Amino acid sequence: MEFIIEHLSKSYDGKRVLRDIDFAFESGKIYGLLGRNGAGKTTLFNCLNGDIRNDTGRFYFKTEEGIRDARPEDIGYVLSTPTVPEFMTGREFLKFFMDIHEAAIREPKQLDEYFEYMSIAREDRDKLLKDYSHGMKNKMQMLINIIAQPNLLLLDEPLTSLDVVVAEEMKQLLRSLKTGRITIFSTHIMDLALDLCDEIVLLNHGELETVDKSDLDVGGFKERIIAALREEEND
Amino acid sequence: MIKTLRLSFALKNTYRVNGILYAIRQIPVVKKAVPAGVYQVHGFKIFANVLSALWELVTVFLGKLLYFLIMINGAMRLYGLPPETDPQLFLHLLVFLSAGGALLNTYMFNPTKDKYYAMILLGMDARSYTLVNYFYAVLKVVAGFGFCSFLFAFPKGCSLWQCLPIPFFVAGMKMSVSAYALWDYEKKGTVRDENKLSKYSWGIVAVFLAAAYGLPAAGLLIPAPVSMILMLLGAASGLLFLYKFLTFQSYRAMYKELFSSAPSLSVQLDNKAAIKIQQEQSYKSISADKSITSSRRGFEYLNELFIKRHRKILWRPAKKVTAVICALTAGSLMAFRIVPEFKETVNGVLMTSLPYFVIVMYSLNRGTSFTRALFINCDHSLLTYSFYKQPQFILRLFQIRLREIIKVNLLPAAMIGAGLAILLYASGGTDNPANYLILIVSVLCMSIFFSVHYLMLYYLLQPYNAGTEIKSGTYQLILAVTYIVSYLLLQVRLPTLMFGIMTIVFCILYCIIASILVYRLAPETFRIRM
Repeated sequence: MEFIIEHLSKSYDGKRVLRDIDFAFESGKIYGLLGRNGAGKTTLFNCLNGDIRNDTGRFYFKTEEGIRDARPEDIGYVLSTPTVPEFMTGREFLKFFMDIHEAAIREPKQLDEYFEYMSIAREDRDKLLKDYSHGMKNKMQMLINIIAQPNLLLLDEPLTSLDVVVAEEMKQLLRSLKTGRITIFSTHIMDLALDLCDEIVLLNHGELETVDKSDLDVGGFKERIIAALREEEND
Repeated sequence: MIKTLRLSFALKNTYRVNGILYAIRQIPVVKKAVPAGVYQVHGFKIFANVLSALWELVTVFLGKLLYFLIMINGAMRLYGLPPETDPQLFLHLLVFLSAGGALLNTYMFNPTKDKYYAMILLGMDARSYTLVNYFYAVLKVVAGFGFCSFLFAFPKGCSLWQCLPIPFFVAGMKMSVSAYALWDYEKKGTVRDENKLSKYSWGIVAVFLAAAYGLPAAGLLIPAPVSMILMLLGAASGLLFLYKFLTFQSYRAMYKELFSSAPSLSVQLDNKAAIKIQQEQSYKSISADKSITSSRRGFEYLNELFIKRHRKILWRPAKKVTAVICALTAGSLMAFRIVPEFKETVNGVLMTSLPYFVIVMYSLNRGTSFTRALFINCDHSLLTYSFYKQPQFILRLFQIRLREIIKVNLLPAAMIGAGLAILLYASGGTDNPANYLILIVSVLCMSIFFSVHYLMLYYLLQPYNAGTEIKSGTYQLILAVTYIVSYLLLQVRLPTLMFGIMTIVFCILYCIIASILVYRLAPETFRIRM
């Protein structure tokens, strides 16, 4: 399976943030999306998630059966600031999600099994989400986004401001989830991108480009990425 | 001094002009014609400068005009005292109200952003900045009150000599309060913030208010010469305290403390702080009652939990209003027995004043608070999940929410409708029994109309961004138009039967059109604003 973006463009007040993007993402890989502040990473995610309308272009899945447009249920989107319905408990939110995806979830498990999987403690499961810590909200958001097994998982700096233990748990989780789906991971932390991701993609001049790692050690690869990002500044 | 005044004017004008230009860019349609770089366009800047200058003039006169018009001359009409007591009553009200007002509005102890920008961010000399701007503010008080005194006091029979001290008295009282607050800061280190007065200060204000309005109601007025003496003393005390402003040395330290402890300032300065406060308040409204559960499934489950955990802001006010309406109806029925002539008046009002109930139903409708809670506590987070934005789910939830918002608003509406029908019957009835039905049904229709209206606007314009700020000028414009139309209907005098039928037909048509629009457009429009 591939996720193909064709001629995707988006402008704000005359400024072209995304310029005619063409890119193909392959299933089974984690893509690290790097770019300078304001490069348009969140705009790209918002377009793909249907939160904002793109000016031109389309994106679709290419499978053995043919091509089809991306549907909302294909996409999981995890934000850096976790957003969960504050008036529900963790268990209620999970139950609500399971209810409305009854038909779509393959081999549903008991609610507690999901909580165990995400290492959410028993005493926290029936607390209102407004009383969850940042890390717990983040886990809950991630859990909801992965239960339905979306084909495309968009992660917008999801590990920022997590403590080291939770961050490590999340990294392990993402590695275990990558098979059979496309994961695009936006971050400003280059070491994290190099550690976790299979491919590094730069959003530069409103376009996506892969950074070729061939024949380079970690240090050399980092230098190449920085050089490519600096190029934008010098233009 | 002149340089300081010029700089402070330039600073105030800059952010006022930019504020005007920003506001222009929020107006629907207009914003498309205004470029994003409007802040650099000379023509627009001149236009905004003219508006800014006009606003400065408005601040000198508008508040004072309204104050005299409503608080003094308007209140004087209510007492029905003989016209020869007018000058005495005018001065009586003015003396007590100005004394109370001096505590509420000093200018000096209002922590505003212009002062913060100038003294803290731009590092202007606090003493000269404060003195120059304070005396300018005092001059504005003298000019505004001087003009209004002549405008309002002369027609009430006051003499020139009674009018002349008024502006100096008002300014003097404000200066006295400010000087006392400076002295208090020196002695005790406590800074006055006029936006969060102590209970003690509110108590004094209440005493002055009671003296102003209560004494005349009891037939007691302070004699005009006493008012004159009090005014001259007030003006003189202001002059005496002038030395305090000039000798006070700790303006910078005092303002730093004032700014650091002023919640109103953080709200003005930092939108994020204001939004955070709003979000926290909204989260506080969520009930932590552990017994709340739901046996439903899917979206009905989500909705039931939402409604049960938000009873405090949804159902409790509706129940309180219903209780008040019950009490008013019972009170009116008792009044019919005690004062039978009252029946005829009420009967006449009920037969012609149904349009009044549009603004009543507008004021009682919980639509905006319902949609705000929906967004901040629920949709703000769930709209970031792809599954939640599937068209069939959006429409399913719309149906459920429409049912709930109508239910919440229908309780007080049903009581109003029933109460009006009972009062119509008890006040002598009507020749046409259809009037009873029309009263009930049209009030219910008005309630349903407002419920549908607010929920439809929410779904079609979804005015909030991810930071829970309202970002839709169109939404705010339509809310304003809703209020204006409801208000204008106060002027309409139509027989209940006719207006009621028109209301019912309009509401039914509106609900049909609104539902069609939501079904067609909401799957596209119900998104978080970017």
